[in-house]
Amino acid sequence: MTRTFTCILCPNGCEITASAEGGGLTGCEGNRCPRGREYVRQELTCPMRNIATSVTVHGGTLPLCSVRLTGPIPKEEIFRAVSAIHAVSLEAPVRRGQTVLRNLLGLGVDVIATRAVLASDGRDG
Amino acid sequence: MNRRFDLVIIGAGVIGSAIARELSRYRLKIGVLERGPDLLGGTSARNSGVLHAGFNNEPGSKMARFCVEGNRAFDRIAAELDVPYKRTGKLIVGFTADDYDRLLALKARGEQNGAPGFEMVGRERIRELAPAVEGEFALYSGSTGILSPFQYTLGLAENAAKNGAEFFFSHPVTEITRTKDSWLLAAGGEQFETRWVVNAAGLFADRISDMLGIPGYEIYPCRGEYFLLDPRLGPMLPLPAYPVPNYKTGGLGIHLTPTVDGNIMVGPSNEYIDGREDYAVTQKVMDLLIADGSRIFPHLKREFFIRNFSGIRPKLSGKKTGGYHDFVIERRDDLAPRAVNLVGIESPGLTAALPIAHEVIRLIREIEPLEQNPFFDPIRRRIPSFRDKTPEQQAELIRQNPDYGEIICRCETITKAEVLAALRSPLPARTLTGVKYRCRAMMGRCQGGYCQTRLADLLMAETGLSREELLYSREGSWLFIGEVHPQ
Amino acid sequence: MKAVEKKIVIIGAGPTGLAAALRLYDRGERDIVLLEREREPGGILRQCIHDGFGLTRFGETLSGPEYAARFTERAAGLGLEIVTGATVIGLTSGRVVTAATREGLRVYRAQAVILAMGCRERTRGALSIPGRRPSGVFTAGVAQTYMNLKNTMVGREAVILGSGDIGMIMARRLTLEGAHVKAVFEIQPYPSGLPRNIEQCLNDYGIPLYLSHTVTQINGDSRLSSVVVSEVDGARRPIPGTEREIPCDTLILSVGLIPENELTRMAGAQIDPGTAGAVVDEHYQTSIPGIFSAGNVLHVHDLVDFVSLEAEALADSVLEFCSGSLRGCPIEVSGEGCGHVIPQTVSGKADVTVSFRPRRPMRGCIVSAVQDGKRIASKRLPRANPAEMERLSIPAAAFLSQSPIKVVLQDD
Repeated sequence: MTRTFTCILCPNGCEITASAEGGGLTGCEGNRCPRGREYVRQELTCPMRNIATSVTVHGGTLPLCSVRLTGPIPKEEIFRAVSAIHAVSLEAPVRRGQTVLRNLLGLGVDVIATRAVLASDGRDG
Repeated sequence: MNRRFDLVIIGAGVIGSAIARELSRYRLKIGVLERGPDLLGGTSARNSGVLHAGFNNEPGSKMARFCVEGNRAFDRIAAELDVPYKRTGKLIVGFTADDYDRLLALKARGEQNGAPGFEMVGRERIRELAPAVEGEFALYSGSTGILSPFQYTLGLAENAAKNGAEFFFSHPVTEITRTKDSWLLAAGGEQFETRWVVNAAGLFADRISDMLGIPGYEIYPCRGEYFLLDPRLGPMLPLPAYPVPNYKTGGLGIHLTPTVDGNIMVGPSNEYIDGREDYAVTQKVMDLLIADGSRIFPHLKREFFIRNFSGIRPKLSGKKTGGYHDFVIERRDDLAPRAVNLVGIESPGLTAALPIAHEVIRLIREIEPLEQNPFFDPIRRRIPSFRDKTPEQQAELIRQNPDYGEIICRCETITKAEVLAALRSPLPARTLTGVKYRCRAMMGRCQGGYCQTRLADLLMAETGLSREELLYSREGSWLFIGEVHPQ
Repeated sequence: MKAVEKKIVIIGAGPTGLAAALRLYDRGERDIVLLEREREPGGILRQCIHDGFGLTRFGETLSGPEYAARFTERAAGLGLEIVTGATVIGLTSGRVVTAATREGLRVYRAQAVILAMGCRERTRGALSIPGRRPSGVFTAGVAQTYMNLKNTMVGREAVILGSGDIGMIMARRLTLEGAHVKAVFEIQPYPSGLPRNIEQCLNDYGIPLYLSHTVTQINGDSRLSSVVVSEVDGARRPIPGTEREIPCDTLILSVGLIPENELTRMAGAQIDPGTAGAVVDEHYQTSIPGIFSAGNVLHVHDLVDFVSLEAEALADSVLEFCSGSLRGCPIEVSGEGCGHVIPQTVSGKADVTVSFRPRRPMRGCIVSAVQDGKRIASKRLPRANPAEMERLSIPAAAFLSQSPIKVVLQDD
């Protein structure tokens, strides 16, 4: 079986044509780097995605803090992950890189703050 | 709640507000009922902003008389109410012999109506006055001017409010009954008991007229679409330039009108429509405006278009009759005692607003004496604007009020001080569009791309309204669902 | 008004301004001030919370705020002068910069000015979409500001016009926050944004993309109630009979970015009508000596990594200018088969990299620099599309004369 993929790992967005048999990758072309091959292999077995969203902040100079995951999670878990993240709210000050949620949904990745948020009274993290 | 007034005006457009302002010179408890959530929801905000000379109106008609009077008196009211305005003059441009004859007829009519300052001019003078305009000859009308319809309406309303008139928004009149001595109006869930009623309901004046017991009027909504051009083109057109009017369509032809803020407006078009609030803009007319406008303004290019919008004329003459119908400003004592009925106040309503108000007062005085209000103050002042000042003056404004140093609208250089003034005025803005009309934020090139989010913040902070409650312009025009993450 | 003498004034502390400032600092320059209108530096990156930034520059895929932090945190640590809440309202050809702040007007007389103001979005009005004027029509960037910075949700049922990256990013963003994005419509027969975004923002969420379609009417008395979409022909005109009405309460417009050159015009610098940015030479100097321009205000970029590189190259030129040794650039550069060619003039005496954009999607093409009828540099591109800015390097030794150069892009 042959399938075409657009790799999302970098802005090149290589168009990769892959052939697979019995769940294993047999051929792969169009990728400009080896990570593309890995991407396609992953897409065939269990597509993974990183996500970015935000959580509310109390007592900060901004109402939201943007967050992302420290690593990708299975694509099918995205909405469950977003729900879990949205249940969290932070107290300012928030430090960039601060762990917002450890071991999201038991998937082995953390949710981290991607920016700092100062406290309204001027304190920073 | 039950409220009692001496006089209630239905409609807070430029006409209703002018009437309120002039009546506030007298000792009367005045209420103004406006259906929209803010001022400037109807025709008063959607027009060319022209101070007409009066050559387009039938001699002897109220339109002609009040237009010429209103034009003459405008310098004074503009000064009293701090309304931006320029007496630019106007060119009505022609190409053919037929056009020439029509222009002569307009000149004669204007002079008959008592308007001053007419002159027939040739190619060279056209070039001098408006280098970008094409034409063989033109009628130059020296008394024509341009004004801000927003600031005029706001000025009248705010001054009326300052002098004691009470304004009620989101109060459409749903029922009118009459007892021997008073009128009872149901509006916005409240009851208003009043001796006098003035119908200044614009697009809905025929309905109110019916409710007052004066039948027989029908408003034929006639839509005019406009295009707004980049202020960069402003210097190319210092005064309005129009083609020779075509009387069959009953409109004024497709105009090019500079605004006091430096934009150029192309339009309006002319189209009878079904819905009285169908403010749509159409592809057909857009293409027409570009084609027709290019005839006398060859510099017209798509890249200069900032936005388009439409206005609706409350006409008493329909598609079949065409032509025009004079203002109806009347008392019908047999049908509706102590009511003044205004129907069909279309162009030149803006120019004629004050004389119309005086006519209403004259009609009231025929029945009832009016006592002067000794506390009447004719002056309304806006806070200084930042953008037209010298650097020294700007520095001083900031020194006195640091809110002047925070630029909210980048394209038009509108500061936080001016936005807050709009939110704190005697009749404060309660919608995003209301803020726009009062201080010009969002009217520039980026159409709110930079400032809209800031304006929403300030609106919520000042009014205490939640995200879900904020309105863009009219009732029901909600902006947001709420928070992304409820706190 | 008394002007403060400043060697270098940078207008905008977004990615361009910050990279330029840090480069100047690293080259020993200290007399720098950045004027930023927001309350914090970082520019548009502050609201780009998705990843995809920094892959070439840092070897990591960062979110916008994290990329910005690489610069802002360093700048703060070094004590670079960044004035926030300062909106520049005046710029003269004599390099006098006037900024409004709550503390007063700040006036600087600069030896060099760096324009780094970024861009604004094309609006509905500029598009002139027929129909009513209900609430619920937002440009993608404004919707992004509301959702990512203001904790404000703009709608529930959305249609997106324009397949630019911002539109696709917002399609995903809206979906993740519980809205239903019904479709993305693109007027061109090809997508405007990167293929990876079609994959991770649309395909991942089952959001259909319709090419050669546009919105031909907006309906709704007070709030948007539906849009009418039509297919378009080769000349981008709606095809009668193909209209479809789609109920929705939100229309997101992602229909182009326009460099924000008000100040550039005020100073009298020449603007390129193609890019809507300043005409510059290989030093990123505009037609006004001492006024330089880079980043989105010069030409709209796709990747911030290249914005940073461009800003750093500009910074080097600024230092040369200040020491009086900028080479003249008499050679005009124009494009054939491609547009947005920057810079518009070169010296012919130094290595130079020219950037450009294809006018249509191409596969297997060659871009060449042609001078005096000869190919002086060329590069083969397996794939090229208007959504991706491309570059061609021309070494100094390759120049044959001072004649004009044509950047020619053609199928192989």
